[in-house]
Amino acid sequence: MSDAALNSIRLNPTPVRTIAGKDIRDALRDRFILIVTAFLGLAALVALVTGAIALRSDVATYEAAKASLLALGKSADAIKAPEFYPLRLLRGAIEQIEIIGAAIAILIGYRSAASERGRQTLALMLTRPMRRWQFVAGKALAGIGLLAGGLALVLGGLTLLLHLMSGIGLGMDDLLRIAIVWAVAVAYTACFFLVSFILSLHMKQPSHALLVAFAIWLTLVLVAPQIGDTLDPDNQVAGGVFKQLNIAKPDQIQIMKGFATFETVRDGIEQASVTKHFERFTFAVLGIKATYAGMPLGPILIEMLGNLIWIFLTALGLGALALALPLNPDRLAKA
Amino acid sequence: MPEPMIRLNRLTQSFDGVTAVDALSMDIAEGEIFGFLGHNGAGKTTTIQMLTTLARPASGTATVAGHDICSEPLEVRRRIGYVPENVRLYDTLTAAENLIFFARLSGVADPKRRVAEVLDLLECTYLADKRVGGFSKGMRQRVGLAQAILHQPAVLFLDEPTSGLDPMGIKMLRDLVMRLNTEFGMTIFMNTHLISEIAKTCTSIAVLSHGKLVYHDRIEAVTARYGDDAALEELYLSLTPVGRLAEVA
Repeated sequence: MSDAALNSIRLNPTPVRTIAGKDIRDALRDRFILIVTAFLGLAALVALVTGAIALRSDVATYEAAKASLLALGKSADAIKAPEFYPLRLLRGAIEQIEIIGAAIAILIGYRSAASERGRQTLALMLTRPMRRWQFVAGKALAGIGLLAGGLALVLGGLTLLLHLMSGIGLGMDDLLRIAIVWAVAVAYTACFFLVSFILSLHMKQPSHALLVAFAIWLTLVLVAPQIGDTLDPDNQVAGGVFKQLNIAKPDQIQIMKGFATFETVRDGIEQASVTKHFERFTFAVLGIKATYAGMPLGPILIEMLGNLIWIFLTALGLGALALALPLNPDRLAKA
Repeated sequence: MPEPMIRLNRLTQSFDGVTAVDALSMDIAEGEIFGFLGHNGAGKTTTIQMLTTLARPASGTATVAGHDICSEPLEVRRRIGYVPENVRLYDTLTAAENLIFFARLSGVADPKRRVAEVLDLLECTYLADKRVGGFSKGMRQRVGLAQAILHQPAVLFLDEPTSGLDPMGIKMLRDLVMRLNTEFGMTIFMNTHLISEIAKTCTSIAVLSHGKLVYHDRIEAVTARYGDDAALEELYLSLTPVGRLAEVA
């Protein structure tokens, strides 16, 4: 090659951006991505509408009871009006992101790696003047960008609907809470994207990688949080064992001391699941958990900092692993 | 004597204890069209993977355009183009979008202009705005070749470039390869099964059998000794185990 020709070539400073841009353009033309995003949006919408119907039913019941009392000439103070926190209606949507959002992230991660294998485009990329980590970073950036965009669409749409449905509208504090939940949801789904992406890139058969990724999803999303919940001694009776038996708080503490080892194991199982951290954090920020309803955002964030750190450290750790693992070209050429 | 464009020095690769390429040593001069022959599994693709920096050799060394494949992979990548067997590209993107993507990754200064030039050179400007998903094998191969020459590489690696092409497609590809060699001075390293293509296109050949180099010479020497295409086929058959099995049968 002549010097002039060589001089016209510069070492591309932005292969990460180039790969990410290509992946996003490719994905937006792929019906699969559009269908799964629409599916998540629909599931979240159904959950929101179901929550709204339940709330409307509570309000109707209250209004009927109030009208009956007033008709009898009695005071309506004896019955408590249902509390209305509009963000609580997002509970179903959060649960859909927890389960379906994580599953979609796995599919996007698998697609991101497997689509390059077999059709040999990976070999074309890796024979360009760029570092291997730049390829991984570009792919990861695109995948996480797609998740961020999809979640923004879903949560943005639900926010608009909530604003219109609630009648009282959403304030800046509510919008800030939803924005925080969006950012954490991106980090949460990124964990599953990265697990699937790493496995699909490095395992001998990408299809096996998908199975392993879904086994991990099953364990973290469905099994571990359920084990944590169902093994909780206080959850053995509806409404709580201690509450039903009218056991005072000091006595509760005394009783639970006898279950210290059991509780450590149970809590450990729960803590191991990034899903549980996501649920605890989002339920607190949105006031879905009664303890946090009406509580200012600052103290909630301080109390939930551990959950937040866990989610972001998991995502960052997986991202670092994806960048650090050396690529095996022999594997990359096989579908 | 000028330094060869490609130099292999006891290049070796093995997978799971099986030696795929066994201490391969040879030189390929600048401006050659080099034909690399061998039966399936002989180690041709593995050799290309090492020379294009896709795989690290287990032992031995090689240089491409004067740069070591292990210690200077980025410098090697700046100077090579690679067309794998059955290249598929991105189906949802148009030919131009695919090429602009690869031009950007190669650091081409003005990707759009260069893509237009290359499509014009390969006489396939009409494919520019069509999605690759609907392309025939021949069209894909043409775009595949285009992506490999966007950055004007010194060496072009082609892995079974005529695989799956019809006679017209094979002729078109042969003409293109010869043009790239004569007009732009590219050194071509081509894996192939097709003896007839070797005779019509290459300036030197080598035969690989079970990872070992069993023959390497200039094409004139071969044709002077054996005369025509049929003799070249006899040479290949006599040098490879597949050929010996065919003789027994």
